[in-house]
Amino acid sequence: MTATLDSAEIPETPDAPEVAVPRRPGTFRRGKGLVGLVLVGLVVAAGLLGPLFVSWDPYQQIPGANLLGPSAAHPLGTDDLNRDILARLLSGIRVDLLISFVAVPVGALIGCAVGAMATVNNTLDIAVQRLFDVLLAFPQLILAIGLAAVLGPGTLSVMIVVVSVEIPIFGRLLRTAVLRVRESPFVTAAQVVGAGKGHVLRVHVLPNSLEPVLVQLALSMSVAVFIEGAMSVLGIGVSPPEPSLGAVLTTSLHYLDLNPLFALGPLAVTAVLVLGFQSIAQAANAARGT
Amino acid sequence: MNAVPRRPVLRALAAAALLLTATACESAVDAQTRSGGASAAPRAGGVAELGVNLDLVPANLFTNSNVSITTVVGLVYDTLVRYDRKSLTPAPRLATEWAATDGGRTLTLTLRQGVKFHTGRAFTSADVKFSLASYTDPKWNGQLASTAKVITAVDTPAPDQVVLHLEHPVGNLFDLLDTVPIIDSATAADIGTGKRFVGTGPFVFDAWRPNTDLRFTRNLDYWGGAPYLDGVHVRVIPDSQSLVAAVKSGQVQLARGVGYRDAESATAGGGVAAIPLEGAELQAYVGVNVTSPGLDDPRVRQAVAYALDKERIVKEVYRDKGYPVSLPWPRTSPAYDPQLDGRYRHDVAKAKALLAEYGRPVPEIPLAYVGNDQVAATTAQIVQNNLAEAGITVQLTPVDSTQFVKQLIGAQFPGLWATNHSWAQFTPSTLTVSAYPFNARRNSSHFSSPAYTAAAENAWQLPSGTGAEATAAYRELSQQLLDGTFLAEIAVVFEQIVVRDTLHGVDWSRRRELDLSKAFLA
Repeated sequence: MTATLDSAEIPETPDAPEVAVPRRPGTFRRGKGLVGLVLVGLVVAAGLLGPLFVSWDPYQQIPGANLLGPSAAHPLGTDDLNRDILARLLSGIRVDLLISFVAVPVGALIGCAVGAMATVNNTLDIAVQRLFDVLLAFPQLILAIGLAAVLGPGTLSVMIVVVSVEIPIFGRLLRTAVLRVRESPFVTAAQVVGAGKGHVLRVHVLPNSLEPVLVQLALSMSVAVFIEGAMSVLGIGVSPPEPSLGAVLTTSLHYLDLNPLFALGPLAVTAVLVLGFQSIAQAANAARGT
Repeated sequence: MNAVPRRPVLRALAAAALLLTATACESAVDAQTRSGGASAAPRAGGVAELGVNLDLVPANLFTNSNVSITTVVGLVYDTLVRYDRKSLTPAPRLATEWAATDGGRTLTLTLRQGVKFHTGRAFTSADVKFSLASYTDPKWNGQLASTAKVITAVDTPAPDQVVLHLEHPVGNLFDLLDTVPIIDSATAADIGTGKRFVGTGPFVFDAWRPNTDLRFTRNLDYWGGAPYLDGVHVRVIPDSQSLVAAVKSGQVQLARGVGYRDAESATAGGGVAAIPLEGAELQAYVGVNVTSPGLDDPRVRQAVAYALDKERIVKEVYRDKGYPVSLPWPRTSPAYDPQLDGRYRHDVAKAKALLAEYGRPVPEIPLAYVGNDQVAATTAQIVQNNLAEAGITVQLTPVDSTQFVKQLIGAQFPGLWATNHSWAQFTPSTLTVSAYPFNARRNSSHFSSPAYTAAAENAWQLPSGTGAEATAAYRELSQQLLDGTFLAEIAVVFEQIVVRDTLHGVDWSRRRELDLSKAFLA
């Protein structure tokens, strides 16, 4: 009886929260997480420090150095405008990093804000979801071409395209996470003790809804590198003579027969950067237990 | 053993040397226009596959502004006369004879009989009248409209006779007759929509699928004899790498719009030749809006001209398929004067001195170019670098090709622009009263000066485009162009067509219009 009473009076240990708490420090100390961090770190270091060790200016048109092959003076050769390819490659990394580390977080921030607000009001939710449907219905490149036609080519245009592509992705992702976390017992408990809607959303729901967003952030950064490259190939990327990974790669495609290393440089850096971001995303996803 | 007689041996050696010399002297053009040599006898049949990098813009059909347009016009239409590629002497086409009277104010033309439009209707003098009148319609942007408007009346006393009455004599009338395509009045309304193109030319237009292809079949009733080819299929391949790959792999036998470096690459493997369109010269130039801040001062414009490293652009961009110039005239032009042409050579110090004399900072200037054109993009970046060396900052502005033509015709460029122009290979006065960048009455640069206008009109109104009087007029015209510097010439260059050795007999007009009437596959 006592046991029965005890069991009736003493509440059972509550179920573990639906959202697993990741062991993030461990995630990035080994395996894919570590590999991803190292790869991205290498590219970031090359972009930030590399230009300091190259004697050529990425914009300098060196007299008589037209389409030279690799040499001690120009390890990757020179391009059709007599510029050192290595110098342009290293400077181009900075543009891609700028796009990845600024445009994607901005897109994520706006998307998350819109997605979170949509969960507060049903009418707003329907309107936002239909808007996201429209944006997501456009393939990324079609959207990029459409926006570039209005904005004109340039780094800012690429960043706006990336932001526009990411807003619905992050918006929908966060909305789904919020709707799931909102049904958790600890949220209900907070509501029972009288917490307001805004307080519950800000203090209890959002912090526990951000994990999928963090995984998506890494994935989206790799997509941003692809978008920049694709837009450059289409002639709507960064404006000449600005270097970027995509711009250097696009120029190199015309001269593959003369100097294969011309293309190898930007291809290798792009591959390493994308692989790094993907590894980080996979490691973060694994840490969530999904 | 008998000694070999010396005299016959020497004769044989001399004959062999002569033969080798004669062979070596054949131009690449001659070799290609009858490529295949004796073994390639004309053979009927087959469809020639062509590749072009730009699609047709029907509204610009009479502007010669892209390779698709010049391909269509060359295949479908005829003109009254045709200049050969080495002189400005007109040869008969749809007009077989002509005679000028009344001091050059009247021209009587006798038309070829038995010519039919592709619809089967007979070609008559009324069609000449209709075509000349249509050409002056502003909607077609015909560049020789000013010359066409000099014709005050067109009489058609007989189906095979046309009499042109002119307001005043002009030295470039045959340029007009070489240029105006003879169109079918019954179907002319369909030209603007791209639905139908009906002419009297060697090929009949079948269909146009925008951004995809154009199809033509041979005109069995062609007055010059039915073509050997059954038809022509023109594919639109915007990507330069794909275009090169198509010609290398044999998917197309002729490609237009291939970059100069890509043409070198395509010909390296053999079986493919890059042919410069000699006689149809183009001029690479930097246009200047003279109302733009800074550029409104001739010293700044002259500084731009001095700052351009023309030799480098010719060598690295055009792969030596051209030569640097200060004036638009090719070396074959009656206006060409080597002394005047040498004025603006690359001289950064002089450019800086002119800017110092100007004494004020030049604001950043936008430079427009066709963004998806590798040649234009490379040229624009070299120009930007050249001007930066002199102290002028330029902002590159890539523009879509259709938009670029629109801005050129509408004189809408805000600062500088880099592109090619044509028409200097014709009678020199044609350039300065007709071409958008030069037209003394209204040009893309917004430039006007009484002296330039007078020089242009004077050269134009001479009864003959050649001779001592004309040479003096052209010299004055050149002087005005050099002083005004409302555009900075870079070089005379040649468009190249890339042709596989299976296609023979390819010819072209001075306007780069393809003539496949005698072409064949072998």
